[in-house]
Amino acid sequence: MDEKLTQRSVWEKIAAKLSKRSLWMLHYCTGCGAIELPPTMTARFDMERFGINPMVTPRQADILLITGYLSVKTLKRVVLTYEQMQAPKYVVGFGSCTINGGMYWNSYATMKSLDRYIPVETYIAGCMPRPEAIIHSFNELIAKIDRGEANSWKDYYKNYDFYRKNQEHTFEGPIETYNDIKADAALFRI
Amino acid sequence: MEYAKENSIIEMMQTEFPEAHFTVKKERRIEVKMPSGRLYDFAVRMQKKWNFLHLSAISCVDWIDDGEFELVYHFWNYDEKVLVMAKIRIPREEEGDSHFETISNLWQPAKFFERDIHEMFGVYFDGSEDMERFILTDWTGPPPMRKDFITREFALNFYHYREYEPQWLKDMMAAGEGNE
Repeated sequence: MDEKLTQRSVWEKIAAKLSKRSLWMLHYCTGCGAIELPPTMTARFDMERFGINPMVTPRQADILLITGYLSVKTLKRVVLTYEQMQAPKYVVGFGSCTINGGMYWNSYATMKSLDRYIPVETYIAGCMPRPEAIIHSFNELIAKIDRGEANSWKDYYKNYDFYRKNQEHTFEGPIETYNDIKADAALFRI
Repeated sequence: MEYAKENSIIEMMQTEFPEAHFTVKKERRIEVKMPSGRLYDFAVRMQKKWNFLHLSAISCVDWIDDGEFELVYHFWNYDEKVLVMAKIRIPREEEGDSHFETISNLWQPAKFFERDIHEMFGVYFDGSEDMERFILTDWTGPPPMRKDFITREFALNFYHYREYEPQWLKDMMAAGEGNE
């Protein structure tokens, strides 16, 4: 990791301390993993005790939880959603499908590794991971934010050409995005 | 008598379609095989005359060894509670689309079935208003449900798979690093 990313000002440290306890998770579910989220949200496991709440709009959300396999058609929507989210933003890949394709490893219609298309902060292995595993990964994420290591979203701005190339390969041509990533990168001084 | 209701329906249809071949598969299930040119007439009579109001599905089978596609139309009668499966065969084109006539002017839902068959098998239905892509919107490969489409081969060539033992890791292990 280069020095510019790891050096933090006092204000950034304070901001991390505050924001790590108010993370909003985009309520966008793909594949079969969504079934593990209701117990995670509600009284039994109750992720709100860590300050994580479901949110319905990408502009106000911090966490994008990809729950399960992504078909190419869904992947396009996920990329558009991810680009609309405000930085800092954290992607959690959930289940083995996002890691290596899972049980759909030889399918013609699903992508095989999520981090080729959008940068991923944490992975949860398993098919399916239990709510305990989700809570554990959220705690890991909170600890990473506190330490200032949750910087994968900067990677999207730094290596945009790499991600864009993979996206265009899968979608067979350019996709229409609403955000100018290069201009945003200049704004963030990345 | 066994299958009295089914046999009376077959008798009624056989007078108008003498070339079609009817069989009772089991209770309330009738199969009919006919030349492809007669299917539209059959569908018109099914809807307007014999009261088979519901088109449940259109399915397609790829008989690659015969060089033919089989289209199966499932018609349902709410009064008699009988399902008729009309089966026709059309030639299978190796390159490009096979062609057949649409029945979407009789049943609106046929549009969706026909669009689905078009992208999955490559059978183009002439005369339909809308044959745009339905599910595989970004697809440029061959129709994936054809028998000669090898899913694994396509996926291995098209997608990037995670490398579990990359060279840098092997080098690192050989140098004695990474082992606690």
